[in-house]
Amino acid sequence: MKVLEFHDITMAYEGGQPVLEGVSLSVESGEVIGLLGRNGAGKTTLIRIAMGMLAPQSGTVRVLGEDPRGDLVGVRRRIGYVSELQELPSYMSVRDILTLHRSLYPNWDDEVAGELCSRFELPAGAKIAKLSKGQARQVALLCAISHRPDLLILDEPAGGLDPAARREFLETSIRHLSDTGSTILFSSHHMADVERMASRLVMVHDGQLWIDSAVDDVREGYCLALVPVRGTDLHNKLLALPGCLSVRERDGTFRAVFECESEACRAQLVQDLEDPNVQCLSVGLEEMFIELVGGRS
Amino acid sequence: MLFFLDPQSGVPYYRQLMEQVRLHVSTGSLTAGDELPSIRALAVILGVNPMTVSKAYGYLEAEQLLERRPGRPLVVRVQTNEQLEIGRLERLRESLLDASTLSRRLDISADDALSVFRDLLNESPPDHGREEDPS
Repeated sequence: MKVLEFHDITMAYEGGQPVLEGVSLSVESGEVIGLLGRNGAGKTTLIRIAMGMLAPQSGTVRVLGEDPRGDLVGVRRRIGYVSELQELPSYMSVRDILTLHRSLYPNWDDEVAGELCSRFELPAGAKIAKLSKGQARQVALLCAISHRPDLLILDEPAGGLDPAARREFLETSIRHLSDTGSTILFSSHHMADVERMASRLVMVHDGQLWIDSAVDDVREGYCLALVPVRGTDLHNKLLALPGCLSVRERDGTFRAVFECESEACRAQLVQDLEDPNVQCLSVGLEEMFIELVGGRS
Repeated sequence: MLFFLDPQSGVPYYRQLMEQVRLHVSTGSLTAGDELPSIRALAVILGVNPMTVSKAYGYLEAEQLLERRPGRPLVVRVQTNEQLEIGRLERLRESLLDASTLSRRLDISADDALSVFRDLLNESPPDHGREEDPS
């Protein structure tokens, strides 16, 4: 079943360049999508369109089979949402927030909420304003998953948290995932977290989807080629090769990302460029991201 | 049982996990009948998508290293001495892959490379105990 469908979405804020241009993305039930991209690439816009908070200029969106702008409440009841920018009412206590959410969500599960409350050791009587950043985010996550949503949307959920709080957040999300098989869409700049949790990576760049690949395929199916600068026009020559996604020069070496397994890529490049000094490495997601965005401006 | 993931390595997590289970079996820290952690438990401990653990377990089951029993944790299958021997050599081979690639790139002859390896084998192992010993 398709949980999320974006079809040919174009979105521009008033008087500005399009933030999203013809974006199509389809998410099956049980997938965990890690949404990557630089600040301003359009990740949050995409998420807000899914939440029904924004209407695109053109294209169609379906969330759990419904138009999120058509049945806002019905759709929202089946979604959990946590965002870095989200603010819980600071004057309310943890207990009040839980009572409020219980009344908003017919599927609210007191057992789930109670278990999370005690695991997080949240002080029920404390006002939100008195909580640490990590605790406030725990309350937000608790509210997002205690109604057992079919779709969990996390927009930079661990932004601003220390590494221990981030890991705690990740573990809770994984428990939720394991227990419910819920579909998750989350954006993050923490590549290690994305790689740990996601089953599929989607990278937004300049308003378009650039990479859309199973996580395991990214490590095995992409590589970074290091090519010594030689002759003329090597930059364009590299870009013209099949599978080349980005090229940039640093310190006398071209660094190019190829959609190709590293050994095969090296053999091909040595032959094409007639240069035995080409190296190809499989690199972690963070290096890959930096090379990709650096080599494609 | 120790499992860990290296985020810097170019190897996907499920493959890292598979290699570690195989290594545990080859060194004897996991033997026939030993139970593996549940998918959920290991996913939470390692902080990874449960699919990653389930994928690794699935492949190891297909390799006849693990055995699935309905509603129970996976266990290590009985291995013949021959299988264990093959496994041990395969683990060594796996870790020598990078060294052999480097050796070719440095244009080191097979004889020279072998003599380096022989020297390393004959060196006494580093004494890890000394620094940790409080006395």
